[in-house]
Amino acid sequence: MTLTVPSGSPDPSPQLPCPGLGDPAVAQAVDRLRGEFAGRVRPQLVVRVVRESRRDLGGSPVGAMPELVERLARYRLDSHIS
Amino acid sequence: MGIGAGSVDVSGVRHTLSDGRVLLDDVSFRIGEGARAALVGENGAGKTTLLRIIAGDLVPEAGAIARTGGLGVMRQFIGSVRDDTTVQQMLVDLSPPAVRAAWDAVQATELALMETDDERSQMAYADALGQWGDVGGYEAEVTWDTVTVAALGVPYDRCKYRELSTLSGGEQKRLALEALLRGPDQVLLLDEPDNYLDVPGKRWLEERLLDTRKTVLFVSHDRELLARVADRVVTVEGGSAWVHGGGFVSYHEARAARHERLAELRRRWDEEHQRLIDLVRTMQQQAANSPDMANRYHAMQTRLAKFEAAGPPPERPPEQKVSMRLRGGRTGVRAVTAEQLELSGLMKPFDLEIFYGDRVGVLGANGAGKSHFLRLLAGQSVAHTGDWRLGARVVPGFFAQTHAHPDWQDRTPVDLLWHGEPGRPGVDRGRAMAALRRYGLAEAGDQPFRTMSGGQQARFQILLLELSGSTLLLLDEPTDNLDVLSAEALEEALGAFDGTVLAVTHDRWFARSFDRFVVFGADGRVYESDEPVFDETRVARAR
Repeated sequence: MTLTVPSGSPDPSPQLPCPGLGDPAVAQAVDRLRGEFAGRVRPQLVVRVVRESRRDLGGSPVGAMPELVERLARYRLDSHIS
Repeated sequence: MGIGAGSVDVSGVRHTLSDGRVLLDDVSFRIGEGARAALVGENGAGKTTLLRIIAGDLVPEAGAIARTGGLGVMRQFIGSVRDDTTVQQMLVDLSPPAVRAAWDAVQATELALMETDDERSQMAYADALGQWGDVGGYEAEVTWDTVTVAALGVPYDRCKYRELSTLSGGEQKRLALEALLRGPDQVLLLDEPDNYLDVPGKRWLEERLLDTRKTVLFVSHDRELLARVADRVVTVEGGSAWVHGGGFVSYHEARAARHERLAELRRRWDEEHQRLIDLVRTMQQQAANSPDMANRYHAMQTRLAKFEAAGPPPERPPEQKVSMRLRGGRTGVRAVTAEQLELSGLMKPFDLEIFYGDRVGVLGANGAGKSHFLRLLAGQSVAHTGDWRLGARVVPGFFAQTHAHPDWQDRTPVDLLWHGEPGRPGVDRGRAMAALRRYGLAEAGDQPFRTMSGGQQARFQILLLELSGSTLLLLDEPTDNLDVLSAEALEEALGAFDGTVLAVTHDRWFARSFDRFVVFGADGRVYESDEPVFDETRVARAR
């Protein structure tokens, strides 16, 4: 799949809570990846990529979801900035 | 535990060996839901082949197998695994095919992900995990945890990478049995599930098999297990199979009655056959003189041809092939006397008197010195203190566990019989072959001892005892490798033996035929018991 990412400046308030992030797999991945990609990718983009990854992985076992989501989102974000 | 809902239908199965011999023909039977059926027969009769056909490993030449409920199989080699198979791999191998396939996919995609961590590999891995969840893989892992805790006393996560070769034979068997009995498969095929289990382990197995509502077909040589567990007995003999609908206790009677019935049917068929042949001959002569008789002659010829085409009923299977003649002879009243005897470091000193004609079961803990005691009485060099002596005309004959003859490995039975040894004169080839034939060993006469099966090796050793004229038999686990029918022949031979018998055994059924029991305790105490004692624990020694 091709990820389309709008260009823009970094989020001015990266520590704000993300609305609608009730899914622990998404929340954990967003937390970690926002830190990991801080200054390189806007936080909103991290949220979007994580959510899309979560959606694409629908049907995977719940227990494995956090790891799968984070791994896929990281791969997509890496591909975006490289 | 699931509700019993499995059955096996075997119909018209035929299997031919690679040399063209028909091993099984027209084998048909049904094991209904919740039945616990034992599969018995002489070694080589086709038990394992039949199990492999039912398991789907072999395709029968004719006939079909129908099953309901998933099939779980415990193969004979479990208990002797010496390669690098892990606990985890064995548990996967014992799982239903869908779980195995999903497991393989997870392993493959995980490997691919380690090599290429791209989106495609990640999605394939996620799909594999999804499939693992869908087939019940996570539930299986929960079950495996209860299995390892029950069998090994440790959680799955702590032992899954442990190699089976680091477990004892009994632990391997117990692990596999726990997995199958707690798993989802409703039909279990168990090939010698009791091998490598000590007596408490066998009792545990019996209880578990009696408790389960699954359908079980098992092969075992342990007659106590057969008697306690089996509610029907499938016998493979004479190239086919038949089912006794009762337990092992009434099995012998049923088998004898069946053999008589088959013999009677065959006798009647032979008589009718002869009568028809005689009639054809008579009519042939009459037809030569009277054209009117020609038609009747031809009709009779047709009748005979039809009768022969229908074929005779099955032959009565050959009677027990093993005919042991342990003669012995009268000895002094005191056959063995021991005073303050102690095998160095193995036990506390003990006194013992064994009289002519006694049948003594030597029981007790592993490592307590039972085998050494027999070796000492056989005249071998065993470090000891205290006194012991044999009575007048007592000639010991020693039956060792089958691996205990390194010098025999490359020699053939005929060669060993021909050369003889001190106390046993050699015999010529003709007499050697005749003796081997009585023990069902004629075909193995010219093959090296090491290539003979455990049962053949055991029978050969008993033949040597017969030829040596022993009056005191010292038997170390003599029934360990014998099939049920050979074990019965040995018991019968010992019953008729004129002399004294000492036998180390864990075979509960065999032990019942003894009238005295000497128990070597785990605490080093040697004592007599009126009843067989099988729950002495293994002797703990600093290593």
